[in-house]
This record gives sequence, C-alpha cells and structure tokens, in this order.
Amino acid sequence: MKKIVSLMLALVMFFALAVCGQSTAPAFAAAEEPAPAEEAAPVEEPARETDAVVVDTCILLEADDAMINNYSLLAVNPEAPWVDADGNPVSDVAINTVGAAALINWLLSEEGQELAANYGFEEYGEYLFYLKDDRPVSTAEIPAATEENRLIRLSTTTSVNDSGLLGYMLPIFEEKYGYEVEVYSAGTGKSIANAKMGNADLILVHSKKQEEAFIADGFSCVIDGMEAERLNWMYNYFVLCGPSADPAGVKDAADVKAAFAAIAEGKFPFISRGDGSGTHTKELSLWPEELGITAEAESFKDYTDWYISANTGMGACLVMAEEMNAYILTDKATFLTFVANDGVMG
Amino acid sequence: MGSSIRKAVELILSADPELLNILSTTARVCLSSSILALIIGVPLGILFGAERFPGRRVLLVLNRTLIGMPPVVCGLLFYMLFSGVGPFRHLHLLFTVKLMIIAQVVLITPIIIGVMETFVADTAPALRETARGLGFGRMKEYRLLINECLYSIFSSYLLSFARAIAEVGAVAMVGGAIAWKTNVMTTAIMMYTNRGSFTLGIALGLILLSLSLLVNIILSVMQGRLSR
Amino acid sequence: MKTNAFSKTYNGRTVLTLPALELPTGQITAVIGPNGSGKSTFAKILAGIERTDDKKPILSGISVGYLPQKSFPFRMSTEKNILQNGKNLSRATKLMKMLGIDHLAKQSAKKLSGGESARMALCRILMRPYDLLILDEPTTAMDMESTLVAEKLIRQTSREQGCALVLITHSISQARRIADRVIVLHQGQFIEQGQSVQVLSKPKQEKTKHFLEFYGL
Repeated sequence: MKKIVSLMLALVMFFALAVCGQSTAPAFAAAEEPAPAEEAAPVEEPARETDAVVVDTCILLEADDAMINNYSLLAVNPEAPWVDADGNPVSDVAINTVGAAALINWLLSEEGQELAANYGFEEYGEYLFYLKDDRPVSTAEIPAATEENRLIRLSTTTSVNDSGLLGYMLPIFEEKYGYEVEVYSAGTGKSIANAKMGNADLILVHSKKQEEAFIADGFSCVIDGMEAERLNWMYNYFVLCGPSADPAGVKDAADVKAAFAAIAEGKFPFISRGDGSGTHTKELSLWPEELGITAEAESFKDYTDWYISANTGMGACLVMAEEMNAYILTDKATFLTFVANDGVMG
Repeated sequence: MGSSIRKAVELILSADPELLNILSTTARVCLSSSILALIIGVPLGILFGAERFPGRRVLLVLNRTLIGMPPVVCGLLFYMLFSGVGPFRHLHLLFTVKLMIIAQVVLITPIIIGVMETFVADTAPALRETARGLGFGRMKEYRLLINECLYSIFSSYLLSFARAIAEVGAVAMVGGAIAWKTNVMTTAIMMYTNRGSFTLGIALGLILLSLSLLVNIILSVMQGRLSR
Repeated sequence: MKTNAFSKTYNGRTVLTLPALELPTGQITAVIGPNGSGKSTFAKILAGIERTDDKKPILSGISVGYLPQKSFPFRMSTEKNILQNGKNLSRATKLMKMLGIDHLAKQSAKKLSGGESARMALCRILMRPYDLLILDEPTTAMDMESTLVAEKLIRQTSREQGCALVLITHSISQARRIADRVIVLHQGQFIEQGQSVQVLSKPKQEKTKHFLEFYGL
C-alpha cells in the first residue's frame, strides 16, 4: 500500500514537472503560426526566451472619446428590493451603509483623490487613473469604525484590483479609521451580481449600462451629502492594442469604430474577454452593428476564425494576444502593468 | 519551468507576508476540513459497513452521488444559502474561512464514508463471526473492528486531505478569494492564471505540490508503522 | 444438553432440517457428512450466529464458544490475539507451547500461515471454559503432527471442563479418533446418530454406508 501511495505521488510529481516543462512555451503554441499575410512584416522573429521577452503588443489607438473608461462608486441600498434565489422577497439583508459611506467619503476626500490621481506614476512613468473634472467631492467628517460597522465589503472589478490601486490605498484608510475592507474582485457582471445577492456594501465598477440598470432596479442609494447614486469619480482609457506591425492599420483609423471595422473586415485575430466584464461590455459596443456581436456565443459563431472569446482575466488575455499576434481591447492600467513585467504579468 | 522553480524558491525565501498568509489559510482550511470530515465520516462509514438497517442502501447510493458532486456546485449551493439574501444570511458566514471549511467537509465526508464502508463491509462479517463465537459483547466487537480499520482510516484521510488541498471550485465560490482573509493556494493560482501570471501560478503550484508531498510522506510513514 | 428441532431456509430453499438432538456434556459429538450437507450451517445456528426460521434459539441459558472454519486473526500480535479471550497469560503460553506456536507469540497474527493461524485460533477459543464448545473444522489447515496434538488438546478440554463439545469435521478418521458420538448429515437432512464406534463401523442407514465407502473406510 505504502509503495503504491509513493508511486502514485511520484507519478503526480512527474506529470506536474512534465506539464510545467512545456509551459514556458505555452499551450497556445499551435495558434502561434502567424497568418501568411502577416509574415512579410516582421523582420526579426522575436526569440522567446524567458528572461529576455520583448513585448510586441503595443498601444495602437488611445484617448479616443469613445474609449473612456469611467469608474464609479455605488453604495448598496439596504432597502433594495432584495429577492432570494427563487424570487421571493427578503427584507432584512445586512448592509453596512455607515461603512460604505465612510469609504466613499474618504475616496472622494482630498486625501483619497490625491492618492488615486498620483497612483502608478512612480512605477510606470504614467498615471493609471485620472480624476473626472466634474467628480463629486466630499468634505464630510469620517467617523471611526465601531464594532458593528468595522467590516466593509467592496465588490469590484479585476482591472481595479489587478492595477494595485486598492492594495495601495485601502491600508491607509484602514489604518486611519479602523475599518477593515474586504475586496471581492471579479468581472463587472459577476461583481454586480454578487452585490445583488446582498454580499457587498458598495461597488466600484466600470460599466455605465450595468450601473444604470443596478440603480434602476433599486439596488443603490444616495449617501448623505451626495447628489446621485452613481459617483463617477475617476477614469482612464481603454486602449486598442495589437502587434506592432499593425496589419489592419488601426493606427491610422479615423476613430475607434473604424478601427474595429478594419479588424473585422480583414479578419485579423482579436481576443475578447468574453466574461461579462466592463471591458467586454465596452468591446461589444465598438463592433460595427451589422456584425451583431453580443455576449451570446451564438452571435459570433460565424467569426470564430478570427474572433476569440477567451473567457478569462485581462492579463491572461494579453498573454494570449501577445502569443497570437492578435488585437485586443484592454484598460490602460492593466496593459502598462503587463508591459512593465515583460509580458509575463507579475 | 526553470524560471518557475526559481520563482518558487525565491518566493519561499523572501517569506513574502502575503504568501505566508495564503499558506496559513490553506493549512487551516485543509487540516480543519479533512480532520472534521474524518471525525464525521469514519463512524458513519463503519456504521454503514458493519450494520444492516432499513434505508442503508438508499443512503449508500446518495453517498456515492455526493462523492461525484462537482465542487463548484457545492460552492454555488453554499454561496446561495449564505448570501446576503439567502436563508442563512443571519449567520454572516459567506466569505469566511469557517464556511470554506464547512463546504469542504460536505465535499470530503462522503469520500471517507465510501472508503470506510467498502473496507468495513469486507471485514466486518468475518470479524463479527469470530468475535461472537468467542462470546464477546458488542462493545468489544466494535473495539476490535476499529482496530482493524486504523490502516484504512489513514488511507481515507490521505485521500480527503489530497482532495481538500487540491480543491478550488468550492473554496473560490464560498470564500471569494479575498486577499488576507480567504485566499488559499488554489484560488491564488487561479487568480494569477486569470491575470496571465503563469510563472507565478506555476511557482505557487510547485509549493503546493511540495507541501502535499511532505504531508503525504509523513502520513505514509505513520501508515507504514501501523500496518506492521 | 438437548437442542430443539428446527429448520433453516435460504431464499425459499430449505438447507437444513434437524430433529431435537442430545449433546451430552463431557463428551465429543462429531458432526460428519459430505460437503454441502449443512454441517457449518448447523454450527452457526448452534452458536446463535444465524437464526432458525422461527427465530427461536435452539439452546438457551448456556455459554457457547464457537470457532468458525476460518477464524479471523485480529490486527495485533499472536499472543495478544489469544489474550483477547482471557487474561491468563500462563495459560496462553502453555497452549501456544503445546501447539508449537510459542515462538510466534510476538509476531503479527496477520502474517501467520494458514496452519499457524488455525493453531492460534484454537488456542484463543480454549482460553476460557464454555458450556458448549463448537469447533468447525479446527484442524483442516494443520499438518498431521499439529492435528494430532490439537486432537489431544480437544479431548482433554472436553474431559476436564465437562463441556458439551461439537466437532464439525469432514475427516472420518478424526471422528473415529476422538469422537464419543457421531451425527451424520446429508443434503441438509439428519441421517443418523449414535456412539461413534457403532455409527462408523455398523451404520444403520444406507446413506451413511455410501458416505463411508466413498471415503474408503
């Protein structure tokens, strides 16, 4: 028995090693062969060695007004029309409104805004987030935490979490006022769904459409001193990235919609998040309408030769785009982190 | 691969506080859940194996079904039950280590029951015949039966620990992979994979495998002693 | 000691029907018959391990010891196995010595050979007295030498303890050697009973004759 157990363990280890051994040249290798049309352009084949990665994917189109990526804070309404999984109304859902208001007021205070605005410059030489000119500003007194409202549940998107912004800001807030912020991070869709299940006190997301639906359904409330539920306080840009050779010529496109049309026209590979995230929602709104691409798998079944629905995180999608010389829509913060880490993320 | 190993060693040597937190959370969840499952599963497994009572077969079929339950389904179920709008909302257990342990106990206990039941059903009749023939009481009969089971209790524990440490679907749903609180090795690996940090994911995976190997070596040495 | 008449049915098939039988104390009663004659079932029913069709015990108010055909070695040393049935270490040692397994006392009982395990089981059942002692093929796995020692021990036990001893055996020569009385079974039916000398040399029933002839005795 003992022998069998150790033999099995050895096998497991061996298998793991074998898998790892291949993974430096990831499984996408099969798809790596560039399409013949593109072959002419690159002069040097980038030698993919682990320590000397040259990221070929670069920003081709940015700062287009259609590509603004707005981040909003929404406090969850304790009196929301809560329903359980069967649609039956639920009345007494515990929401920490005081805590949510404290965090929002701090993020919109002078201190919070300054921290957010300056984040990333030191590390990446670029600001990752910009403050909206018409942002709501708070001067409210922030109460120290009590035993009941100490725990604040923040449901947010992976792009905010992965950029490191929260990891940078929240400890300062926690230290100062004694709260403890639990960050649940998922794509915007899942993040909002999590809040609708009564598992978050506030959300920080980036999909106007989904935010407005959230408000219309009564799940958000106006906190004292604010004028609206949706507190759109910072933004950055989505950027359209792709191989530096830019076979679709999106660099010279009139606007982002024209660029997307050119990609579709030439059937150049495009990586879609495909996970209901804010980035995915944005991307869906940029395709020429006649293609009819939506979140449904049915809608892009005819485009599978170039439209790749990855259903994974932003970073993983960027790695894929790099491997496949594909175009991709990404938030700028994640892309800068990706490049700063030589395309291996982290 | 080379860079992953280097990264894994670097990570361990750096004693990165977040990594240590993930490791200790993982240890807490896996050890607690596998031991709890053992405490619940072994008596039930012995009972199912040794006794014949009405409804036993139905319970066994149910148990086998539970063994096949996908962890993510178990996680989803617990997520719904313990959500802010779920029936058990007042317990405030969602996204806590406690609920992760409970979910894993639900996943693992059927495995232990299954392993024990199979072994005991095989052993109990012969042992019982001999024990009763000697005129032993029921208590002594059970004491002897448990003594026979020690080896398979170990086997089932190894199995359940392996399942606990490798499991990701349930702990991700129920724990929410919240940093410094409910993030365990598997959810961290998943997170890094989603972010595209494959090297880091594999490095964590290697650490996980080494830990698992270590635990298994210790347990199988102990098991070897038992079988003598 | 007298047993009640009974019958035993498995899945609607009657496998054993017996009339009331006398089991005299201080004597060895051998139960003989070909394979499938119901000897072991009889032993299990006597021991109370299996129930008769009317669920009533066929004996009551007595202590019964039963050694199954394949006795189970507990997961512990040979000596500890034997001591499970009584704390008397000197008796255990004496029994082990007589049956020649004293050198295996500290060895795991799971690692004993078939013959050794059978000797351990016999030692174990003989550790304390019973009113009725049932031994199901106790010597089948043993070699001739051990068998003779075991038989001597069995006879001694029955005389000294004054218990009724039932010996299930397929060996007619064994029955001839140590049994005082013999019960003959055939296909779940009682054929005859009587003093062993009488039954084994001048059987009254044709079936007994056939059985004895078949075994060349």
